[in-house]
Amino acid sequence: MAQSTPWQKPVDAGIPAKKSNRIQFLIGGFLILAAIGFLIISGTMSGARFFITVDDLMTSSTYVDQSVRISGVVLGDTIVYDAQNLTLEFTIANVPTEFDDLGTALHIAANNPEATRLQVRVENQVKPDLLRHEAQAILTGALGTDGVFYASELNLKCPTRFIEGMPENLRDDGTLEQGA
Amino acid sequence: MISEIGTICLILAFGAAIYAIIASVIGVRRGDNRLVVSARNAGLLTFPLLLTAMLLLLSALLTQQYQISYVWQVTDPNTPTIFRITALWGSQQGSLLFWCVLMSVFAFVALATQWREHRRLMPYVNAFTMASLAFFVGLVLFLENPFTRIWADAAGNPVGGVFQPSGTTFVSVDILAQSARGLNPLLRHIGMIIHPPMLYLGFVGFVIPFAFAMAALASGDLSSNWIKATRRWTLASWLFLGLGLILGGRWAYDVLGWGGYWGWDPVENAAFLPWLIGTAFLHSVMIQEKRGMLKTWNMALIILTFSAVMFGTFATRSGLIESVHSFAQSEIGIPMFVFWAGITLTGVVLIVYRRHQGHLRDEHVFAGIVSRESMFVLNNVIFVALTGAIFWGSFGAPIIAELTTNTDITLGAEYFEMVTPPLFIAMYILMGIAPLSAWGAMSIGRLGRALIAPIAITILVLVVLFLTGTTQAGALLGYGVVLLAGVVAVYETVRGAQARKRKHDESWLAAFVNIFGRNRRRYGGFIVHLGITVIGIGVIGSTLFQQETQRTLAVGDSLELGGYTLRLDTVDLGQIADDGRVMDIANLTLLRDGSELARIRPRLDFYPQAQGMNTMTIAGAHSTLENDFYVLLSGYEQTNPGDSTTLSATFKVYLNPLVNLVWWGGIILIIGTVISTLPNETAPARARRPLEARAKATA
Repeated sequence: MAQSTPWQKPVDAGIPAKKSNRIQFLIGGFLILAAIGFLIISGTMSGARFFITVDDLMTSSTYVDQSVRISGVVLGDTIVYDAQNLTLEFTIANVPTEFDDLGTALHIAANNPEATRLQVRVENQVKPDLLRHEAQAILTGALGTDGVFYASELNLKCPTRFIEGMPENLRDDGTLEQGA
Repeated sequence: MISEIGTICLILAFGAAIYAIIASVIGVRRGDNRLVVSARNAGLLTFPLLLTAMLLLLSALLTQQYQISYVWQVTDPNTPTIFRITALWGSQQGSLLFWCVLMSVFAFVALATQWREHRRLMPYVNAFTMASLAFFVGLVLFLENPFTRIWADAAGNPVGGVFQPSGTTFVSVDILAQSARGLNPLLRHIGMIIHPPMLYLGFVGFVIPFAFAMAALASGDLSSNWIKATRRWTLASWLFLGLGLILGGRWAYDVLGWGGYWGWDPVENAAFLPWLIGTAFLHSVMIQEKRGMLKTWNMALIILTFSAVMFGTFATRSGLIESVHSFAQSEIGIPMFVFWAGITLTGVVLIVYRRHQGHLRDEHVFAGIVSRESMFVLNNVIFVALTGAIFWGSFGAPIIAELTTNTDITLGAEYFEMVTPPLFIAMYILMGIAPLSAWGAMSIGRLGRALIAPIAITILVLVVLFLTGTTQAGALLGYGVVLLAGVVAVYETVRGAQARKRKHDESWLAAFVNIFGRNRRRYGGFIVHLGITVIGIGVIGSTLFQQETQRTLAVGDSLELGGYTLRLDTVDLGQIADDGRVMDIANLTLLRDGSELARIRPRLDFYPQAQGMNTMTIAGAHSTLENDFYVLLSGYEQTNPGDSTTLSATFKVYLNPLVNLVWWGGIILIIGTVISTLPNETAPARARRPLEARAKATA
């Protein structure tokens, strides 16, 4: 056994807990766990939202008027910003859920005329710096009966922000030097 | 040459770390001291090697070596020097190398300073630390090498490689400089200069307490030695992590332009989780020191803390979660998951084994419901519940829904805003009660009597708040609970000083200085509690009483908010900054009761060189302890180009009461933690001598 240092408490045999104490601890522990469990379950019930694609939203009527979270690619040409009333309108296109590289998937989806499109309206929103063509938009809101998605929350992720990329074709930029 | 030398340093560091693991384990098993010492030397060697690699990358950034793809990604010819330095952690590859260097620094300091004192544990500490380091260096070396260079094939397509791939040609720096990306505009902020290093220091620092705990389990030295050895490491890591979180909040507040500082984003939450478990550990470890209890629990907590660090790193860097913070999806996801699962499982297996052997038996049992031990346990329950609830909301529920029902679900801010406040309230109540309780059994009546004065002071403050206009019941309840924690911290400190003053006939100042000198942990802890109180007041004020408005103003027009007047004076368009960005600046005057308070200059920055995101909305603010008047320029119009008097601009304005207390509370928290971390002053020799003589006489 390791040598004990002066600040260490000496090891004793331990005193068994009183039965009444143990019951108190058990009841107290159970009540606390039950309260925490209730909190988490009720929070989950009220806070959970489907996180779906534009295709999911447009092909099922179950989502109309229901608060959901959707993801799609922003089409840059469609962005209309009313700075005076702080309203934003733009269109997003469906991005498939399975892809190898998000940047490529967004690029393909934005340029695919067959991809399902959805008009989005966000109110009381300063135009985010990341809102641009081919950015991934993650929106919370509900699809109105007019076919427009009314978003209360807008998050954007620009794939080029952290892209670990390379330059475009170098021949276009100038003459290549030979040798290392 | 930089690429080659940098990569060779990485290879050598990787080899040294692997050798340190193998030699440590074999050395201990065979009792071969030479091998154990050799392993230590290998462990020490990783630091200079990785430091050299990092300095080489830094020199490449500073000297604009754009043929190195990392330099090309994160800088351009217009990048100022300070951001060339911070670009070191501006993207995945550089930040992983930076992470490795920090881990090797911690390993170096632990191996250099604690080797003799903890001779039995240190070979294992070396092995576990080096295993973590080898994993990360391996990631850098094999998957995310920042020294990869850009070459061109015959068709002109770029090809990556440290060494020249066959059939490729060299590309000149000048050509690459033309298309260099530059640092992401979001990261060009003072908060971003300090926030990632602090966060990384916090994350990485927990490797040492983790390694000591694993060493204790592996070696069988399950006395409190590992706790003694890691107390400062844990406090320092906890401090850096807390600092990183606060700076991240400040950065979000300044840069992201939504008037808030915490959005319950999964990545924010991922960094918050180890801080919460670490806080539980810092408290529960005291029970082990004082009473020899909760040995298994403490082991589990520190292993869980490091596990949370690894999980957060995996979740952030693998692209697992949808977050505005995420790095690019990369190949490191699977190895990181395997490493996280591996260390967690190893820890659990070792704990179960040692517990089964009876090596983690507690020395005392709980004496009563009302005791310091019970309060600490309750504190742990709350912190673990917070951790569990936040983990569930950020990762658990979405992952389980995906696996079981093949449905993607997400829990938004509403979930966190519903679940966490009751737990935070419970935490503050405990902060108010626990310091007044005693070790061992204590009667409820005695605890109640101890609480009378702090509660009376708290009620008095609440009455003042009520009379000065804070009438909202929820706010008064929140302030009351939070204030009680702070009042108890101050009250206990004053009582300690008073007792010292009476006993030693000292001045108040001397008494305060002496109690802090003699018991830094206790009184530093009270300062930490005070800091958390101040943060709590700031959060309540800025959450419950935030006001906002939006208006379009012509030059000379004003808007009103919360008793303030904001007047648009001029708009300066197209101002060019030194780093090449183009700025449109609104010049506003803030007035209260007709008198000028401040000039506020929100602006829109445009980065012509930056690819992808190239605009930034920079808020202007007038900050006082009372509130922040926070203004965003959302857009402008000019009906007659060339005539500045025809300009109108639209603003979104927030009035955030008490928000600055969040930052000030953070500073108090730092001061308290630093005091707690410092060693206690010992009594002077002349005072110790009679005590030692008396002890000898009685022996």
